[in-house]
Amino acid sequence: MENKKRYMLFVLVILLMLSFSPSKGVCGEDAGPDYLEEEQYLSIPDPLEPLNRVVFEFNDRLYFWVLKPLARGYSTVVPEDFRYAMGSFFHNITTPVRVVNSILQGRLRKAGVETLRFLLNTTGGVFGLNDFAGKDLGLKPPDDEDMGQTLGTYGMGHGFYIVWPVLGPSSLRDTIGIAGDGFLNPINYLAFKEAVLVRTVEFTNKTSLHIGEYEELKASAIDPYVSMQDAYLQYRNRKLKK
Amino acid sequence: MKRAFVVLLALVFVFLSHMQSFAGEPMKELKVTVDKVIRILKDPALKKPDKKELRKRLLRDAISERFDFEEMAKRALARHWRKRTPEERKEFVRLFRGLLERTYLRRIEQYRDERIIYKDERIDPPYALVKTVVITSQSAEIPIEYRMIKEGNDWKVYDVTIEGVSLVNNYRRQFNRIIRSSSYEELVRRLKRKVG
Repeated sequence: MENKKRYMLFVLVILLMLSFSPSKGVCGEDAGPDYLEEEQYLSIPDPLEPLNRVVFEFNDRLYFWVLKPLARGYSTVVPEDFRYAMGSFFHNITTPVRVVNSILQGRLRKAGVETLRFLLNTTGGVFGLNDFAGKDLGLKPPDDEDMGQTLGTYGMGHGFYIVWPVLGPSSLRDTIGIAGDGFLNPINYLAFKEAVLVRTVEFTNKTSLHIGEYEELKASAIDPYVSMQDAYLQYRNRKLKK
Repeated sequence: MKRAFVVLLALVFVFLSHMQSFAGEPMKELKVTVDKVIRILKDPALKKPDKKELRKRLLRDAISERFDFEEMAKRALARHWRKRTPEERKEFVRLFRGLLERTYLRRIEQYRDERIIYKDERIDPPYALVKTVVITSQSAEIPIEYRMIKEGNDWKVYDVTIEGVSLVNNYRRQFNRIIRSSSYEELVRRLKRKVG
């Protein structure tokens, strides 16, 4: 019953969003000679900027004071190979997210590849710890599909930019996507305590494999907030096109 | 018999010359630079701590042969470039170049035997796009694209796109924001603070 209510709410929110269908958030801003498939310069409304900047700062401290030391400590205990194996494991169990979204986008071939990879990796790859299908059979992981992209292919714009605590950059559309994908993630069907524990391990594991990336962005940027926002937008835009 | 041989030889020749043109100039020239950079990175003699500065200088030289920092700066400033005096432009290129060098030197010094695959190339003179993929030790694939422009006899890089994120576009957004919310002078101040 509780679940059904939540689901109804979710559908309602989506319908609401689609009804005022925000602009695509793309505006041409020409700069010198254009070339071939040069990206249109993307932009996104950011009405929450003052708040977003505060959350951005919060995430910055959280990363340097908590997440990074935690991930560092975790790395000294857990060898790199095993951390990659854990990464593969979590990627494998979230297959339903990618299969369903592939289908919703009419990419049946991709849905098939994801399903086949799941079967092969769960068995031959020992519970998905090893990407057996990709490494030994040449069945490489296709580009991830998620609900944010599905909504995008249906013509929904980003809406506006949001920086979430811990999770980082997102948009209204991608936030709805994350909420929707939550229903397809098996981890969320565990009891609350277990789910939190597993999500924490997943998050720490992932962070440990990406230490240095945020530092790079920060070091190369003049305004890290704007740089992050633009990188998010460009990255998501490319995913949508793939 | 002899004629058949000559025809065959001619065919082989035509085929070979086509094969060569398959990897066009932009890709070839880019590869020369990338190979050079990797050679410097791998050189055990240059890995010693006292050779650190020399190594940095060699890397910087190899890269500036292929990268056009002025073109990058121009595109990153976009319409604000037009309003700049020649002196301002010169100073801006110097600062932007300093910022980029710091960034890429740090980044390529983390090189750990990644493999580079040259995937595709599109030429539309004077522009070209070269698509590469970097394969990490964990066989993850990172797409990197180079946008190039022909200058005289050479092809020069004016933008690099990593996983869909264009460097020039990213800076353009930041610069535009700072100029609009405060001023060009403020942008230069912040660049100077960063690069020194």
